[in-house]
Amino acid sequence: MKNYNSILIILSVLLAVYIKPVNAQRKPVEILILHTNDMHAKIDNLGKLAYFADSLRKTHKFVYLVSAGDNFTGNPVVDMIEDKGYPMIDLMNRCGYDVSAMGNHEFDLGQDKLNARMLQATFPFISCNIDASQAEVKQMKPYIILKAGRRSIPMLGIIELGPNGLPDSHPSKMKGLTFTDGLKKAEEYSWLKKKYGMLIGLTHLGVETDSVLAQKMPEFDVLIGGHSHTTLSHPMMVNNVMIVQTGSSLKYVGVLTLHIQHGKIIDRKDVLVPLSSIAKSDPVIQALIDKYNDNPELNKVVAEAEEDITGKSELGSMMTDAITQQMKVDFAFQNTGGIRVPLLPKGDIKLKDLYRLDPFANLIVIYKMNLQEIKSLICTSFNRSKEIDMEVSGLKYTVRTNAAGQCADVDLVDLSGAKLDPLKEYSVGINSYIAAAYKWDHRDEGNTTYTTCAQALIEYLKVKKKVNYKGVKRSNVRPVE
Amino acid sequence: MKVYINEQEIVIFAGACIKDAVIAYSVESWKRLKSTKMVVLDRFGNMTDPDGPMMDGQKFTLIEI
Repeated sequence: MKNYNSILIILSVLLAVYIKPVNAQRKPVEILILHTNDMHAKIDNLGKLAYFADSLRKTHKFVYLVSAGDNFTGNPVVDMIEDKGYPMIDLMNRCGYDVSAMGNHEFDLGQDKLNARMLQATFPFISCNIDASQAEVKQMKPYIILKAGRRSIPMLGIIELGPNGLPDSHPSKMKGLTFTDGLKKAEEYSWLKKKYGMLIGLTHLGVETDSVLAQKMPEFDVLIGGHSHTTLSHPMMVNNVMIVQTGSSLKYVGVLTLHIQHGKIIDRKDVLVPLSSIAKSDPVIQALIDKYNDNPELNKVVAEAEEDITGKSELGSMMTDAITQQMKVDFAFQNTGGIRVPLLPKGDIKLKDLYRLDPFANLIVIYKMNLQEIKSLICTSFNRSKEIDMEVSGLKYTVRTNAAGQCADVDLVDLSGAKLDPLKEYSVGINSYIAAAYKWDHRDEGNTTYTTCAQALIEYLKVKKKVNYKGVKRSNVRPVE
Repeated sequence: MKVYINEQEIVIFAGACIKDAVIAYSVESWKRLKSTKMVVLDRFGNMTDPDGPMMDGQKFTLIEI
């Protein structure tokens, strides 16, 4: 028995001596997390990103590619085709994305298309503060675990909410979805840090909110952020939490390097690599990008013009009719400077024609205005260059000019010729350029619809099928008598 | 919502992006921003793309480059 005990003691000592140096000498594991955010369907650099990621995968054992949300919205070859969003997910799959956070603009697709894109994706979308149990879109997971050999790295998704408690997208896209405050919800997942020794946030909150989250939850080692389109050339450190973000539109890829030892992140650094600095592009993916950019769907006929639609008055009337019809507002205005082609010829109106007509991606903003405020808007627009500056839907107006050629008053009638009610509040849709640049008297601060004027026009024409604006003129100038 | 560009209060529609606030502040500044003669910095001094969203009360600075 004595000998048996001695053997056990010797064995234990030998094991301790043997194991201890191995543990002490075990090198930290290096993990690279390549990150992008707010790509907004800008596909042109995805070939370079794929080449860059593949190069690193050849030299590093653990390389991940993640998106902090807003993959869609911002490029018609992705957004305005029949199978909305398909090219973006196809290319992200081919680049080898491992996960994407849900961003507010993911919802722009509509829930049926978002479902299709989530099924198409070979990577999961994550968010901890979305409950889709009553919605059409399928429930996304709150987090994923990235596996690096024996190590597990939890990554938690969080989405921003606007003042109305919804992500910034059109509220009609949110049917059945319930959102909870991401900063509160994230606390429920602090157990991930306890269990795995590390925690990474894949957030679509913006730098301001990320910094609040970092103050509240030092459990996060890194917040890979998005939403605010902030180019963090140097990571922000808040409460010892590292916050990283790459701006927007895929100009940069972030390279987050983590060293993990004994189940903890012992070192972290992040650099932004400009994709313009990468000379090579994955040839297969580049060929696909070229194909998508030359998308024949942009040649698709949306409607037929029964006659030439000529000049600012006819074109602007059509553009504003699209806003009143699609947004269900009383009136709409379009600045003439935003009408960028002289005519749409008789015959087929193609998708690409409409993007040439309205290339600015201005959003529609809705105001409640009374008669005086509408007159103020019209006078303000006229006085910018002493000529008709806005085309209109839902009413006709005549600017009455004084001796200096400036707007002195405005006569307004509806399309049947009846005067407008001076006591009524009307809903008025204008584009975001007018909303920002024109200084007119109004009380309502206005609300964006998160719908571009071009989108409204396309949808309007799809419904109308045939349009005829020959001779339509709803604005005039007449001197005060 | 109210935001601040170069410490000037800008009242702008809900859901506006930085570009909209810069246009409201000065169309000339927007032209300079578009032609990359200017950049927008957030309150931390980070460069921010003009198409970025804004929250009520946020402060931005335009600087020439």
